[in-house]
Amino acid sequence: MTVRVMVVDDHPIWREGVARDLAEREVDVVATAPDGAAAVRIAKAVRPDVVLMDLQLPELSGAQATEQIRTALPDTRVLVLSASTEHGDVIEAVRAGASGYLVKSAGMDELVDAVTRTAAGQAVFSPGLAGLVLGEYRRRETEAPDAPQLTPRETEVLRLVAKGLTARAIATRLTLSHRTVENHVQNSLRKLQLTNRVELTRYAIERGLDADE
Amino acid sequence: MTSPDVSPRARAHPQLVPLWRGLVVYRVVTLVAALVNVARFAGEWARPALGVAVVAVMVAWTAVSSVRYLRRGDAGTAVADLLITALATASTLLVDTPERLAQGGSVITTVWSAGPVLAMAIALGWRGGLAGAVVTVGVLFGVRRALDGDLLFDAQLLVIAGLAVGLAADTMRRLVEQLRAAAAREAATAERERLARDIHDGVLQVLALVRRRGDELARTSTADDSAPGLELARLAGEQEVALRRLITSAPTPGPDGTVDLSSRLAGVLPAHASLAVPAEPVLLPATVVDELAAVVREGAGNAAAHAGPGAGLWVLVEDDPAAVTVSLRDDGVGIPEGRLDEAVAEGHLGVAASMRGRVDALGGTITLHTGPGEGTEWEVVVPRRRKP
Repeated sequence: MTVRVMVVDDHPIWREGVARDLAEREVDVVATAPDGAAAVRIAKAVRPDVVLMDLQLPELSGAQATEQIRTALPDTRVLVLSASTEHGDVIEAVRAGASGYLVKSAGMDELVDAVTRTAAGQAVFSPGLAGLVLGEYRRRETEAPDAPQLTPRETEVLRLVAKGLTARAIATRLTLSHRTVENHVQNSLRKLQLTNRVELTRYAIERGLDADE
Repeated sequence: MTSPDVSPRARAHPQLVPLWRGLVVYRVVTLVAALVNVARFAGEWARPALGVAVVAVMVAWTAVSSVRYLRRGDAGTAVADLLITALATASTLLVDTPERLAQGGSVITTVWSAGPVLAMAIALGWRGGLAGAVVTVGVLFGVRRALDGDLLFDAQLLVIAGLAVGLAADTMRRLVEQLRAAAAREAATAERERLARDIHDGVLQVLALVRRRGDELARTSTADDSAPGLELARLAGEQEVALRRLITSAPTPGPDGTVDLSSRLAGVLPAHASLAVPAEPVLLPATVVDELAAVVREGAGNAAAHAGPGAGLWVLVEDDPAAVTVSLRDDGVGIPEGRLDEAVAEGHLGVAASMRGRVDALGGTITLHTGPGEGTEWEVVVPRRRKP
């Protein structure tokens, strides 16, 4: 099944370039948008599987647009594609619901692979993002002790991701299944995205239910 | 705090202002006690005129010192206060009669004499409070010349007051420092992000685009003339990474001579290395950052020399309240077991000795996980020294 993608970037040349490159690789680019507000509007109309989101956008920031798109379209996933060096912005986007982060210097194969994995519901975790997420949890430990923290196992997995191990290598080293490693990574992102009491409670209940897994 | 007559000194510790206000109130109230004392006993004194003069000095000094405490809250005034008050207390020997003193008559300064103990405590912390109490008790003993229950009771109260107020002042001062450090960190991050944003919108976009176009050229053209396109893509990609590093490694000066470890490491690592760091600057004393940067440079150099061609390099920085952890990993051929220890035992000051030496000097630990074909993984943990 072809993945339906929307490309959001304020630089027209870049936007069209990425769209064309993706199209050449059998990815269905259903829309493009030049700013955050347009991204939200157009996404609601075309319901893409994956939104490739730049972070610095006019009108709405990438993080704000991510949040609105994820709220309106829970099945649409957001992959941040940014040349951004602003670590804070990346974390903000992840908290807003982005399920991965890729720098713009990533190669085309890497990008297509990331889009495919994002569409399949996987988290696209670079070592850099793992470092940011670990740092964000450390910060929360002191500043928001009530928020959900990483389990020791999740911390272990994230540290290995940050040190450049692939999911397969991590699975081998920790004698876990590949899927379990993916789940740990996913959970570490999900817990960052829990913002209100309802979500927290739902999360706690789910965790309680599959604790035996 | 915002009034223009407050000097930088008082503003340096605005949290202490309430303590200084409390001290001034104490001083004025106890001055009234001293005045009542004059009114009651001046008739029985050996030198009433001198006594009245001393009390006049006390009134004047209370006014002067109160103004200085409220405006500046400086240690100099507290020390001067201690000396002037000690002299005033000692003058009791001249003013009063030995008989009245022997019967337990109070010193001319009464409880007013405890003021400098509190002032020293507020200005200089618990040590100041203790020093003030010792001097004040010493003078009291010099006047009374008897180690009776009254003196011991006064001594206890003075020492407890000096220590308690001093500890409170210390705590308040530390809180201010912490707040200031947090504010400085925030400002540094904001400035760096502003710079990064400017560059991001221009140069980085273009470089990334050139790389993409180059890739495309290489893909679409015939095999023979694909080399220039690939080369272009590679160069642009490298420059993009280098520039991004440069932005991230823009110096982020922290408070109290601290430096951001993350930016520093970004400048030390080769362009192909991955650097995973927390979003906020990892502030450590400049000397510690220098040493850690040297350790990482050595580790990276060692990886470049021995890991083999095409090996990757990953660095992870983690910041805990108690310690900073730097992990360095390559996926190269690894070091055979015991090889490093052998080198050290043979007296070759190789990479292990140098890295271990530096980390030991910082009071940290360094561990190595490696094996043939497993790559090399260093983990350096350096404790964060708590501020006194």
